Amino acid sequence: MPDSTSSPPAVTVENLTKVFKSGLGKQAFVAVRDLTLTVQTGEVYGLIGPNGSGKSTTMKAILGLLSPTMGKTTIFGKSSIEVESRSDVGFLPENPYFYKHLSGLETLLFYGRLCSMSGRDLQDKAREMLALTGLEDAADRRVGGFSKGMLQRLGLAQALLHEPRLIILDEPTAGVDPAGSRKIRDLIMGFKESGITVLVTSHLLEQIQEVCDRVGIMAHGRMVREGRLDDLIAVENETELILADASPELLAEIRAIAESKGAKWIRSGHSRTTLERLFLESTEEPKS
Amino acid sequence: MKYHSFSPARIWTLAAATVTQLVRMKIMAFLVVFCVIVVAAGFAFPVMNPEQQLKLLKDVSFGALQIFSVVIAIVSTALLLPRDLEDRTLYTILSKPVPRYEYLLGKLIGVLLLIGAGLVLMDIAFSAVLWLRQSLVLAQSIAALKQEGVATPEALAQLNEFVGKQGLTWNIHLGVLAIFLKASVIAALSLMISCFASSTLFTVVISLLVTIIGHGQGLIREYFFSEGMNQIMKKLGSALLAIITPDLGVFDVLDNVINGELVSAFSAGVMVGTAAMYVTGYLLVSHLLFVEKEL
Repeated sequence: MPDSTSSPPAVTVENLTKVFKSGLGKQAFVAVRDLTLTVQTGEVYGLIGPNGSGKSTTMKAILGLLSPTMGKTTIFGKSSIEVESRSDVGFLPENPYFYKHLSGLETLLFYGRLCSMSGRDLQDKAREMLALTGLEDAADRRVGGFSKGMLQRLGLAQALLHEPRLIILDEPTAGVDPAGSRKIRDLIMGFKESGITVLVTSHLLEQIQEVCDRVGIMAHGRMVREGRLDDLIAVENETELILADASPELLAEIRAIAESKGAKWIRSGHSRTTLERLFLESTEEPKS
Repeated sequence: MKYHSFSPARIWTLAAATVTQLVRMKIMAFLVVFCVIVVAAGFAFPVMNPEQQLKLLKDVSFGALQIFSVVIAIVSTALLLPRDLEDRTLYTILSKPVPRYEYLLGKLIGVLLLIGAGLVLMDIAFSAVLWLRQSLVLAQSIAALKQEGVATPEALAQLNEFVGKQGLTWNIHLGVLAIFLKASVIAALSLMISCFASSTLFTVVISLLVTIIGHGQGLIREYFFSEGMNQIMKKLGSALLAIITPDLGVFDVLDNVINGELVSAFSAGVMVGTAAMYVTGYLLVSHLLFVEKEL
């Protein structure tokens, strides 16, 4: 469970406003307006919204890549303006690119050294991350030849390399096939179990729904809804009942009772699996 | 991991990555072209007199060294920052605990290391060819003197002194140092321009333009600052010109080196001081521009 009492929140965004100045004669663009959010230590927070809603700008402000026009952001109590605040953060940008001339392993060694890692520890950790993200075979291959999915996994590996307490993932499954996407989802679940805080944006709402404790929905630079996922998606006046091996007679009986008590029968039918699950079941190789 | 606000290790990591990047872009292929040019210049035109032969070799070699250093200083520096921004590699680097000034410093040191290493290698090749040519010229001249029957000890000493002056001396290396210092200033200038430029092409064109103007500062001063001009105005004008463009004329000692004239310690000191001043100044402005840059 998130421990919010003993340590400062993993992320705070207070009244963040970001205005991008335009050229002469053009109107300035307000990307984020008076945004406030808090991500508690140990929780998985999903930030969702349509393209151009201000999610990426918010993430960049949290990482100190952009300076806020108004308001402030912190990471574990330290202002994002301070470079030190990034010591505990791993960031995976949307569609990450790395130096094409480096191999997979060299890339991780480069990022590890930037995080003050060195020697045997760094070598071991880099190889461990390559194994974790399924890139062991690509350790000595130039990044220039990596597929989009492999780049995404390498991005994840560099984000996790220095064992950060906060992981920020911007569209982590963009361009990744369903199996890779599921793997990333499993990794996020693993972070949650290890008490690592995750701030994630994704267009795949089903995935957000599966992994997030809390969700914020942004539109036009504002936070339009925020709260615990269970609370947000529950339909107050509807109840779901899932039965296995129920005969048509039993269903008719239940329906009659419900309607006799004044409830409205909305729908009944077979439960459906998701297309993702069907894809994975169909394409997964049988274990020998 | 404990964070330090200044880490030479991080700067070295960035510099080493920059060197690797440029080396793997096959930029050093220029070295091979240089060696071919030097060897060709060294053994071409054997009918010229000894002085002309050695001068031509130095002239061609220093020309190639200058082209290598200026082109690498402008093009490679102009490529680095905009490319990192376009590829979004900058996001992953600066989202690590890396201060922006360390990033800039690492990039510049990487380019300077590459230029420095390239110049050292070319200096070695150039010196070897020059020494060979000098020995050959000396042997031929002595043989000619003997054939003409005028090989007196005085004539031989004079020939030795003359060829020694036009041949391989420490002056040659001072000339290479001047080229390196000039390239350092141009690289720092390109880095500063790339901090606000919108594209690599813009950086290359503007850097090249400023470099050309920088070479002609003396001429500009002569042309625009007439004799009757107020002294204060002259000083202000010169200062403004020196701020807008670096005075690259300070590093132009190559003609003296080619003519066998010694570069004084004072001139070398002025070159090092001027380069240090411009590189520090450009780095400071680069930092001020880059720290405010919205990524």
